[in-house]
Amino acid sequence: MLPENLTAIVARNEIWTAESATEPYEAGWAKEAIVFVRALKPPKGKLPKARIEISADGMHWAPEGSEFDLPATENAVTFQRVAHFGNFLRVAASLPAGAEITVLVSMHFKA
Amino acid sequence: MTSPNSQLDDMRRAIREADPSLSRFDPLPRIICLDDFDRGMCGWTQLVGNYEHSLDAMLPGYAQHSHAMLSTLPNWDFGSHGGVDGSYALKIATRPKTGAQNVAIKRLTFRKAGPIRLETYFTFKPEATELQLSETDIRSFGFLYDLQVGDQHGAGGNRVMPHLRFLNAENGVHLQKWQFKRETTPIKPIGTAGKTITHYHLAPTDWEDLPGGEQRLCYNEIPTKVNWHYLRFDFDLATMQATRFQVNDRVFDMQAYDCIRIPAMKNLWCMLNIGFFAETDTDKRAFAYLDSVCLSGDF
Repeated sequence: MLPENLTAIVARNEIWTAESATEPYEAGWAKEAIVFVRALKPPKGKLPKARIEISADGMHWAPEGSEFDLPATENAVTFQRVAHFGNFLRVAASLPAGAEITVLVSMHFKA
Repeated sequence: MTSPNSQLDDMRRAIREADPSLSRFDPLPRIICLDDFDRGMCGWTQLVGNYEHSLDAMLPGYAQHSHAMLSTLPNWDFGSHGGVDGSYALKIATRPKTGAQNVAIKRLTFRKAGPIRLETYFTFKPEATELQLSETDIRSFGFLYDLQVGDQHGAGGNRVMPHLRFLNAENGVHLQKWQFKRETTPIKPIGTAGKTITHYHLAPTDWEDLPGGEQRLCYNEIPTKVNWHYLRFDFDLATMQATRFQVNDRVFDMQAYDCIRIPAMKNLWCMLNIGFFAETDTDKRAFAYLDSVCLSGDF
């Protein structure tokens, strides 16, 4: 049987400023994920790195350790590979004053 | 003498009752789908709103929607709850904001305008961010069809959207009653090509109480425990009327029930979409779970 495979759009046209994160996504069934971030509009200001966060319960979060660039221009795409993340997964970023990005975030899982 | 049809019905029933995955349901003769979320998402997906040129055109009610999940109902205090059988259920989670909604949808078409039956085992609960019962934190759990007549129907054919929701609580008051709606929001054109329109049929307005629809559902003593409920909704695609609605041991009188009805649209012939939704009454995520869904028809 082919392994389970899922594309989930977890943030669509969401404006990130200050402390921002995707909604908790439960995917304990998956062994691996790739998270893609696309900028839907030209980003503003100095963008920080985004980070992958993991959680046992979807409420209490810990940094997984992976950090990756946010896309610097409209329609640019960045991504991060993640494995062994347990149950809940999200992308978070701490944007400084004046920075803003409108994101499309997708997660691609494989069992 | 027993008729051949009766013998066929008896044989069909015997085979189904010998199969644990089907014995929990009471389907019509043809099973259109039996979605057990131990086999993945089974075609249930995010309900995305209509737009043209820019996602900014999407109505806010749809923009808030996110993707359903395969969940073991994990809890911080005792771990995974699991489903009625197997590990997984489909989870529909709202954002943590009062009045937030989310929907999971499956998009089909029908091959005979006859009786269909929707059955599911469902439960719902708030995100357990507080160590208290939180029984009034979920505003509603519900389901809908989005249907349209076939292209040979002729004049007067409609797009028909049966909606039913369990209004669990509103503004912190535990109401526990089934409601329906027959009004959607005004239809609004989107973009400039003249091809796209939108309306928000899940708007909080125009819900009406189903007479006799008060029902006390089983809920547990702490915010992490759940119990599964059985739901069955019978609808006739020929007459576009509901014929029966049952939840657990209760069968409700559907005399007063009606649906949203709008003129047929040029692109939706024979549409048979099913959606389930959840809504929160506090700034806390609402979670609705479907263990399994069985859709059957009489053809």
